Amino acid sequence: LRKIGIIILCFVFTILSYFTFVSAEKVFHSDFQPPQTSAPNEEQYRLVLITQELETPFWDKVSSGAIEQAKKEGASLEVWGSYGNNQEDFLKKIEIAIHSKMDGIIVQGLDTEEFSSLTKVKAASSGIPIITVANDVPIAESLRKTYVGSDQNLAGKMIAKQLLSDMGISGKVIILGESEQEYHQQQRLQGIQDVLKDYPNVKTLYAETTDTKEQVIATTQDLLNQLPDVDAFIAVNANNSGAMIQEISRRSQVEPYHIYTFDDGPESLSLLTQGKLDGMIEQSPEKMGELSVNLIMKWLTDETVPLNMDGYLTDIRIVKATNM
Amino acid sequence: MNTIQKKIWTLATVVLFIMVSIWLAFTHYNQKTQNQYNDILQRYLIMNEVTSASQQVITDLNNYLLNPSLANLEQINVSQEKIRDAKYEVYKLVNAENEFALTNYINLIDSFIETTNRSLMFQSEEEAEASAKEFSEATRISKYISEMTLTVIDTELKTYDRFYRGIIEQSVEFKKLGIWLLLLIIVSLLLLTYWFSLTITRPVQQLTKAANELSKGRFDMQIKVESNDEISFLAKTFDHMRININNLISEIQQKAQLEHELQQNKLLLKESQLRSLQSQINPHFLFNTLNTLSKKAYLEGAEETSDLLVSVAGLLRYNLKRIDRSVTLYEEVIVLQQYMEIQKTRFTDRLEFNMEIDESCLQLQIPGLTLQPIVENAVIHAIEPEEDGGSIWFRILDGIEWVTIEIEDDGVGMSEDKVKQILEERLVETEGHSTGIGFSNVVKRLRLFYGYEDVIHIESKEGRGTKVVLKIPKTRRIETYEKAPDSR
Repeated sequence: LRKIGIIILCFVFTILSYFTFVSAEKVFHSDFQPPQTSAPNEEQYRLVLITQELETPFWDKVSSGAIEQAKKEGASLEVWGSYGNNQEDFLKKIEIAIHSKMDGIIVQGLDTEEFSSLTKVKAASSGIPIITVANDVPIAESLRKTYVGSDQNLAGKMIAKQLLSDMGISGKVIILGESEQEYHQQQRLQGIQDVLKDYPNVKTLYAETTDTKEQVIATTQDLLNQLPDVDAFIAVNANNSGAMIQEISRRSQVEPYHIYTFDDGPESLSLLTQGKLDGMIEQSPEKMGELSVNLIMKWLTDETVPLNMDGYLTDIRIVKATNM
Repeated sequence: MNTIQKKIWTLATVVLFIMVSIWLAFTHYNQKTQNQYNDILQRYLIMNEVTSASQQVITDLNNYLLNPSLANLEQINVSQEKIRDAKYEVYKLVNAENEFALTNYINLIDSFIETTNRSLMFQSEEEAEASAKEFSEATRISKYISEMTLTVIDTELKTYDRFYRGIIEQSVEFKKLGIWLLLLIIVSLLLLTYWFSLTITRPVQQLTKAANELSKGRFDMQIKVESNDEISFLAKTFDHMRININNLISEIQQKAQLEHELQQNKLLLKESQLRSLQSQINPHFLFNTLNTLSKKAYLEGAEETSDLLVSVAGLLRYNLKRIDRSVTLYEEVIVLQQYMEIQKTRFTDRLEFNMEIDESCLQLQIPGLTLQPIVENAVIHAIEPEEDGGSIWFRILDGIEWVTIEIEDDGVGMSEDKVKQILEERLVETEGHSTGIGFSNVVKRLRLFYGYEDVIHIESKEGRGTKVVLKIPKTRRIETYEKAPDSR
């Protein structure tokens, strides 16, 4: 009996040893170590990409392109910005970037006084190069080093031509613009109007709206009332296309209308795949990101000084709903 | 030798070692966790320090702009120094994951200091408007700093999230470890104590058992203890004692045996003396009378009668003298011859006595009056009852170690019972005419004298005679017999 007792005790001892060992290993061998502190890497260029429209498909692509390129160039890059066209927040980010003494700022152009003063006075006086991306601002206003993005004028022209080929050379077109017209929108509008003015049978109605959803809906309603037999819509600001189509579809079928917009709105792509949009200008956001980082690095390393002030244009093409 | 003390020390050391190592491990772990917590807290405190320092600078700057006194300027310098210190502390927090954010943060602090300095400069140049503008900018940057602090803390939390969770898991696991360890120690101590107590108690038990046996009087069991400590030493000594006691006891027993034998010897002597005293009413008178009778017979010409009387007198004298000491075989043979002469006169031609004696053996020592009673016995049993008489043979034969004395008759013989009776020294009823000393007395004395049982041997069959054989060793074994009577 005593022997059995001892054997059981030994058995228990072995089991306990095992568990204790396992437990001790877990306790004293933690699998995650805190990141090692290190001296700041002064060599690395610190770049920042600032946009007004974070986490839209278009800007996600720009950021991913930029981040990819930054990795290749060995620079550290962060994407900052505001959500949903919050200008105040956007400007604050720019100011912080300047005060944080970034080596370079890649920014979505904003054609406002505050933007100009920030870029012109503060950034320039701190010696921080600024490149605008996707949306341009006039050179004189911003003292930007260069612009990377699509030729907005050309984009306008392409969309107008597409409209003509789809609709024919006669019809009524509503062009929905923005009351606070930004530089790139002006260029687009310019492009559209440049093409359409040669076709006297194409009647255009230009309306302006603010960028709140309610306002867009109200304006669309108003326009439909004014021009019930309209044939086509062009949303100069892609952000407004969603609300606009929603309002149209409340009135009648969307399909008979020719509706066009650009790809830099959050809903553009999904609307196109649903067939609600007839055509969309597709830009090359990844390319923009890549190129902007590439150029700013060239400027910083004195490889290409000065940069082409007119800007570096990226490809654009039109995507039709039927192509999808 | 492994002492019990050493064993106890070993056990205590092992227990102590376990306790100390566990204590060390726990302390080490505690210290480690404490350090981790300290580091974490330190990080957050440093960041918070930056925010509060920058706000302090703003407050002081504001005070100075409103009231440009030297004391306020001093105050600004102090708070600026503080924020610089805080900035150097922030430098230490930089790691791969927060490098970008922290660099921004540090630069923001630099910008802040620069802006405040600019504001002070404009103030000293009395450009109030520019100074105010810089001040408002500084205020804004201060706000950014506090916002940035929150952001950095936020990223910090994200970066360290797994680490913090790891710490929590570890502490949970640590509790479990404590329980396991406790159980393990309990079990191992049980085992250890069991083993340890066994090494001490088992030998003690064995010893106790041995002592018990000893106390019951069993001295022949060997005491064996399987251990290598003091108990084994004790057991060895104990065993030694046992052997000594054993020897002592056997010695005492031997002595008692001897004493007993001596006592018996004395008793026998007394008995034979008593017998002889009973039979001699003034033996000297009888002896002298016999001698006178012998002379008288000789003078009267009866020479045969005279010789017979001389023999009777010699036998009487020998009987008186020789009972209590050893004599030579020669003397015994002479007495035997005298006795036989008397008997021949009595039985004439009915008795035929043949003697074969090896002369070289006659110097052998032998107890007095041993042969005569045996021959007498033969005469009484073999010759007396037979009308035709009979023959008695007496032989002394030399051997290598032994001298053999044979007394043989051709009488009626003895029953086995009787032979047994004689050899067992029981009293045999003597029949009438003996000279006094019984057969059994002779047997006893012979055995005592030579110290062994087989000194006498009787071959007898009823109707075919009796043969008594004495085997006498040429060298005596026990000497005590001689000395004892001398002490009288």
